[in-house]
Amino acid sequence: MRQEEGVWHRLDVVARSISPFFVTLLLVLFALLPLHIADLSPIVPALALIGVFFWSVHRPDLMPIWAVFLIGLVQDVLTGGVIGPGIIGLLVAHALVVWQHRFFLAASFAVIWFAFMLVAAAALAVTWLLTSIAMMTLLDPGPVFFQYLVTLAFYPCLAWAFLRGQRLFQR
Amino acid sequence: MNKPTGSEIRVASPLKAWASRFALLLLVGAAFGLMLIGRTNSFIVEETRTAVTDMVTPILDAVSQPVETFSGVIDQAEALANLRSENLALKEQNTRLLEWQAVARRLEAENAALRSLNRMVPDPAMSYVTARVVGDPGGAFVRTVLINAGERNGVEKGQAAITADGLAGRIAEVGKRSARVLLLTDINSRVPVVVGDARDRGVLAGDNTNAPELLYLGPTAKVQVGDRVTTSGHGGVFPPGLPIGVVAGVGEKGIRVKPFVDWAHMEVLRIVDYEMTGILDFEAQVGAARAAAAAGNAQ
Repeated sequence: MRQEEGVWHRLDVVARSISPFFVTLLLVLFALLPLHIADLSPIVPALALIGVFFWSVHRPDLMPIWAVFLIGLVQDVLTGGVIGPGIIGLLVAHALVVWQHRFFLAASFAVIWFAFMLVAAAALAVTWLLTSIAMMTLLDPGPVFFQYLVTLAFYPCLAWAFLRGQRLFQR
Repeated sequence: MNKPTGSEIRVASPLKAWASRFALLLLVGAAFGLMLIGRTNSFIVEETRTAVTDMVTPILDAVSQPVETFSGVIDQAEALANLRSENLALKEQNTRLLEWQAVARRLEAENAALRSLNRMVPDPAMSYVTARVVGDPGGAFVRTVLINAGERNGVEKGQAAITADGLAGRIAEVGKRSARVLLLTDINSRVPVVVGDARDRGVLAGDNTNAPELLYLGPTAKVQVGDRVTTSGHGGVFPPGLPIGVVAGVGEKGIRVKPFVDWAHMEVLRIVDYEMTGILDFEAQVGAARAAAAAGNAQ
């Protein structure tokens, strides 16, 4: 192999290995866009959670725990709420997936979606609880629940897009 | 890159497992640390936040324009369908407004005459900065928006953000070229208001729902559904008389106010520069008051 090819190959590898991190960061930005759709704003899906979960399941090597922490930090800083609860929510989701990684090895899409249902519930519940504690009031769990349902509904669409992207990369 | 096979993601050695557990604990601890810092030293958090927001705002600014165009197309299609009925309603409204205009002109003249008779201190001048809404985090925990104007455009902390319909919120954080507007409905929002023709004083407190609650009304206040709520100007942050909304419900859930602002179509905000010392100088004012009190005691 010539030297030049080696460089391009290495650049390619680096680009591919950081793409899950950057795609998830882009999702955080995307969730910030004002879509001007009536009554959607309170229940905008937790896109970062979908990204973190997807790559923790399919490519845990490309979604290390520090990346999860950074994504959570950027998300909490940009949304303008308390910094911390969102990070811990994402870390919980990541830890749950890593803890049960053997379960995901042979799981079908439907099973993974079901697992996402449980993991997202845990992550959002932790975020809600910690935000409530930090603000010293009991926040209404209603909007969080709707956000949870919308996030569940969004999971297949995003997962499909991610899988397509991954296949495109691997060609 | 090769996709790792099942045998590659095998159970890690105990040392590796221990290290990953340690990393998790460390990072969760760090997140808790950030939560504590946010509560005790909000200055550092705010600086960081505005710096990051400043970096991201140009991107959001660029991307949000096509999104806005798209939602504009949908709105136009809707408007086209309602053109006839809307035209009739507008004509009717126009005749009514012309009558009101005559009333307002007369009152304005009368007001000016009475003010000069009483030598009333004139209200500070108002100037406006108009900015586009480029970010709306949404979610269950906050009600804020990001705008594409900041310090260099003359936006300052505490200023009122209004739409054509009424008050939307106030500036909570200011960066160089971006600012965060805390909406009326956010759980941290408190706005001094007056209610109805009796001008009863109260505080409009957000709670992350679409209808903020009226608090601290006097015992004699009689509030009815349909009463107008406007800013009172107490605290010197907002100019008095900005329209906010109408009382929508008086019941077990407290007195609820429906804001005039159309949250779904809030694309542009006007930031009101009301040249008066507000919460910005609050600490200085408290300091001066304390000094005065101490001087009074000493005498």
